[in-house]
Amino acid sequence: MTEQFSRRDFLKLAGLGAATTAILTGCGPASRYVKREPYQQMPEYNSVGQSTYYATTCRECAAGCGLVVRTYQGRALKTEGNANHPLNLGKTCARGQATLHGLYNPDRVQAPSTGDWDSAIQTVADALKNYKPGEVAFLMGMAPDHLFDLVSDLANATGMNGPVRYGALGMFEARATLSKAAENLFGQAGLPWFDLGGAQVVFSFGANFLETWLSPLPYTRGFVGLREGETKLRGTFVQFEARMSATGAKADHWVPVRPGTEGLVALAIGKLASELRGGAMPRVFSSVNPAEVAESAGVELEALHHLAEMFVNFNVLAIPGGAALGQSNGLEIAEAVLALNALSDNFGKPGGVYLSALAPNQTETSRPASAEEMAAFVEKMKSGAIKALFVHGVNPVFELPAALGFKDALANVELFSFATFPDETAAEAKHVFPDHHGLESWGYQRVATGVSLPVLSGAQPVVSPFYDTRATADVLIAAAKLAGGKFAEALPFADEVEFIQSKVGALMSEASGSFSAADAATFMAYFQQYGGWFKNADALIAPDGSGVLNGNVKAAEPEFAGEGEFFFVPFVSPTLAEAGANKPWLQELPDPTTTVMWNTWVEINPETAHELGLQNDDMVRIVSEAGEVEAYVYLYPAIRPDTIAMPFGQGHTAYGRYAEKRGANPADLFGVHFNEAGDLAFGGMKVKVEKVRAAQSGVGLARLESRIGVYGEALGEEH
Amino acid sequence: MIKKLFDWLKQPLGLIAVGIVFLAVFSAAAYGLWTTQQAPEQPVPGFPHKTHVAFGIQCLYCHPGASKGPAAGLPSQAKCWACHNQIVKTRDSALLAPLKDAVLSGQSLEWVPVAIVPDFVQFNHRAHIAAGKNCEDCHGDVSQMGIYENPQVMNMGWCLNCHIETAGDDQEKLIKLADCGTCHY
Repeated sequence: MTEQFSRRDFLKLAGLGAATTAILTGCGPASRYVKREPYQQMPEYNSVGQSTYYATTCRECAAGCGLVVRTYQGRALKTEGNANHPLNLGKTCARGQATLHGLYNPDRVQAPSTGDWDSAIQTVADALKNYKPGEVAFLMGMAPDHLFDLVSDLANATGMNGPVRYGALGMFEARATLSKAAENLFGQAGLPWFDLGGAQVVFSFGANFLETWLSPLPYTRGFVGLREGETKLRGTFVQFEARMSATGAKADHWVPVRPGTEGLVALAIGKLASELRGGAMPRVFSSVNPAEVAESAGVELEALHHLAEMFVNFNVLAIPGGAALGQSNGLEIAEAVLALNALSDNFGKPGGVYLSALAPNQTETSRPASAEEMAAFVEKMKSGAIKALFVHGVNPVFELPAALGFKDALANVELFSFATFPDETAAEAKHVFPDHHGLESWGYQRVATGVSLPVLSGAQPVVSPFYDTRATADVLIAAAKLAGGKFAEALPFADEVEFIQSKVGALMSEASGSFSAADAATFMAYFQQYGGWFKNADALIAPDGSGVLNGNVKAAEPEFAGEGEFFFVPFVSPTLAEAGANKPWLQELPDPTTTVMWNTWVEINPETAHELGLQNDDMVRIVSEAGEVEAYVYLYPAIRPDTIAMPFGQGHTAYGRYAEKRGANPADLFGVHFNEAGDLAFGGMKVKVEKVRAAQSGVGLARLESRIGVYGEALGEEH
Repeated sequence: MIKKLFDWLKQPLGLIAVGIVFLAVFSAAAYGLWTTQQAPEQPVPGFPHKTHVAFGIQCLYCHPGASKGPAAGLPSQAKCWACHNQIVKTRDSALLAPLKDAVLSGQSLEWVPVAIVPDFVQFNHRAHIAAGKNCEDCHGDVSQMGIYENPQVMNMGWCLNCHIETAGDDQEKLIKLADCGTCHY
C-alpha cells in the first residue's frame, strides 16, 4: 500500500464496490433464466423428467462395440458402453464418446441432391435397370454389416458385382496380411486374436493395440489383465518399432528397430532362445544370423540376447501388426513373428494365439479388400467395366492413397454417394443421397474379433432423424421395387426393419444364446433391448501350429521406394483416425504422445533436426516418389534418427468446417507398392525432408500447453 | 489523491453527492427486486389455470409425471391441442394463437418454470404424492389462479417445517424426514 492509499481505504472502496454489485445484480430466483420445452408428442414409454436409455451399436469404427445412449425429450445426450455387451463390457473409446458430435454436426448432408426422395429413388432404380448388372458396383465401408448383407443378396440374385469393402483402418492394420499369414502357417485363414490378458510376456512388433488396432477396447482390457495378471505377476511388455507409438509408450522395453527388419529380429530372437534352451535348432530359425540381424536392425546383439532369455522362463506372446506389416516384406514379417509363438507353444491356449470366432450369422471368415484388390477395382473403373458406382460407409477419395488414382477414375462412372457428411467422395458424386447418422439408424454388426463369443451387435435409432435423410437400405429396397423383375424379387421386404428381422429372426432356432423367445416379435424386441445377441459358448478357433517350427519362413531385407534419406512411418492418429476429424471433441483431444491438437505434425529426432537445422514449429516439406506434403516439425526424442513419422487423420479437403483445410494427409505420399498379401507397403518408402520456412511467432502447432494455431493460421489462410 | 477525494466527500456538497448516488443505487436495487417478484412472461399470455380446473380437469391429467417421478412435467403440445382443436372457440382464439402456431410448425413453446428448487435439492414429486399429500398442499389453490404463482417461498425452512410436522412424535420418521441426505445427496 502506498502512503496516499491506505489499506483501510482500499477495504472501504472494495466493500462499497462489492455491495453495489450485489444490489444491482439483484437477488432474483434462478428460474427467471430457465426455459422448459414440452414434447410435441410424448411417447407413451417416456416419463417427464426422466431419461430414456437405448442400446445400440457404435458406428465410429467397425469393431462393433455396444453403446447405451441416454436420451432426454428425444435428444441424445450421452453415450456410454453397454455393460452387457461381451465385446466392450461397458467401455467406449474417445471416438465412441464423440459420436454425438457426428449426430449434431452442423455440416451434415441434410437432403438428397435431387431435392426429394421420390426422384432420388427413381434415379437409383433407373441406374439398376439401365446399366447391365456387371456394370454396377458397390463400394462399402467395414460397417454396417446388415447393409452389406442386403447388397450381397441383391448382387447374388441379379448378377451385379458383389459389394467390395474397404477402410483406411483395415489398410493400416494390414488385415489381409494377418489373414494370409495365418493361412500360410496354420493352413486356415482368419483374423488372429491374441490373448494379452493370459500372457506373461508380450512382444509386440509394431502392433498399436492400445490405439486403433483391430479392436482396441478388448485389447486394452487384455493389457490391463497382463499388467494385473491373475497369477499376481506383473506381465512384461516389449514393443519393437521405429517410432514410439502411444502403445509403445506403455512398454517396459522399447526396441527401436529399423523399419522392415521386424521379421529378421523375430527370427534372430527365436534362434537365440532356441540355443539357450538347447536341443535341436528348429528349422524355421536355422537360417538367420543374429549378429547380422542386430547390425541390420540397428540394435545391440546383447539386447537380443536379453530378450531371448525371457523365453526360458516365461510364456511369450508375439504379436505382429501395424507399421511392421506395411512393408514390402510385411507378409514375411507377420509369419516370422507368429512363428515365434511356437517357442512358447501357445497356439490355441490361454495367453496365446487364436483365430477370431465367427459371428452368429457368419459361415466363413471375411476381410475388407486389400489395397491391391482396390487397385484392380480402380482399373475396372478406368477401363469402363464399372459404369455405376454406389459408395456407402467409406470415403475412398480420402482413405485410399491418392496414387491409386481413384479420384481420376471417378470421371468414368456415375457416382452415387450415400454419405452422412459432405466428405471428399460426396463432393465428387453426381448424386448424394444421405443416409442417417449411426445413432438414427437400424442395423447390426458382426463382431469380427476381440471376444471369445460369437456376437451379433444390434443397432436401433436412439433419436428420430434430424434431417431429410433416409436409410440406404430403404432407398435400395424401394428402388428395387421400382426397377421390378429380378430386383424386386431379390429384396421382397417392406423396409429395412423387415429385412433385419428376417436375418436376426433366423437366430431364434439357435440353442444356448444370450436370450431366447418364442416368437419373432419378442425376439426382435429383446435384440433391441440388449443391443444384440450372442452365443454363450466360446468359439475361438485354435490354430494348428504343429508345423510351424519345422516350417520355412523367408526373411528378406525390405525394399524401399523413393530416393530420400529417411524411413517414413505413417501411423493412424489414435483419436482422429479416418473419420474423426469433423468432430471438435476429437480435434481438441491432445494426441497421447505429443499433445498436439487440431493439426498435423512431422516427428523428427532432435539430433536429426539439429543436423538439418530444424526446430519445433518449422514448416517442412516431405517429398516421396508419389507426392509431397507440408507439415510442422515436432522434435520427438522417441524416434530413430533415420526415421520420420506422420499421423493419418487430417488433411481433409472437404468433410465439414472442423476438418477442412487443416493439416496434411500422409496418404498423399504413398506410392503404389504392395506386400505379398496385397496390402499396401505404406512404410516401404524413403522420403526427403526440405525446410519451407522457419517457425514464426504466434504460428505453429496447437498443443495442450499452448493453443497457438488453433484459431489462427491453421484455420485455413495458409494451407 | 484518494485522501483528497475523501476530504471532498466530507464537504456539504460532497455529502449531497453521496446522498444522490445512494438514492440512485437504492432505487435501482428496489426496482430490480420488484421485477424479480413479478410473474414471468409465459408463451401463452394469461394462461388461465382456473378455467381448466373449473372444467373438472384433474391436475394429473396435464401433469402426470407428479405421480411417477421427480418432475410433474408440462403436457405435450399434442395433448393441449387434442382438446383445444375440438372446441371452436379455442381453436381460432387469438389468445391461443401461440399454441396453434407451435403445433402447426412443430416448434416448442418455451415455458418458464415457476415452482423450482436449486439443483442441489433432489426433489421428487412421487414420494410426496405417495405420502398422501395433495397438490394444493404445496401449490396453493390453483383453481383461483391464472398464470401460476407460488403461494409461498419454497425454501428449506418451509420444506423442513412440513417434514417435521408430518413426523410428529415418531422419532424414527423424524430422523428419516429431517436427515440432510433425504434431499441433498
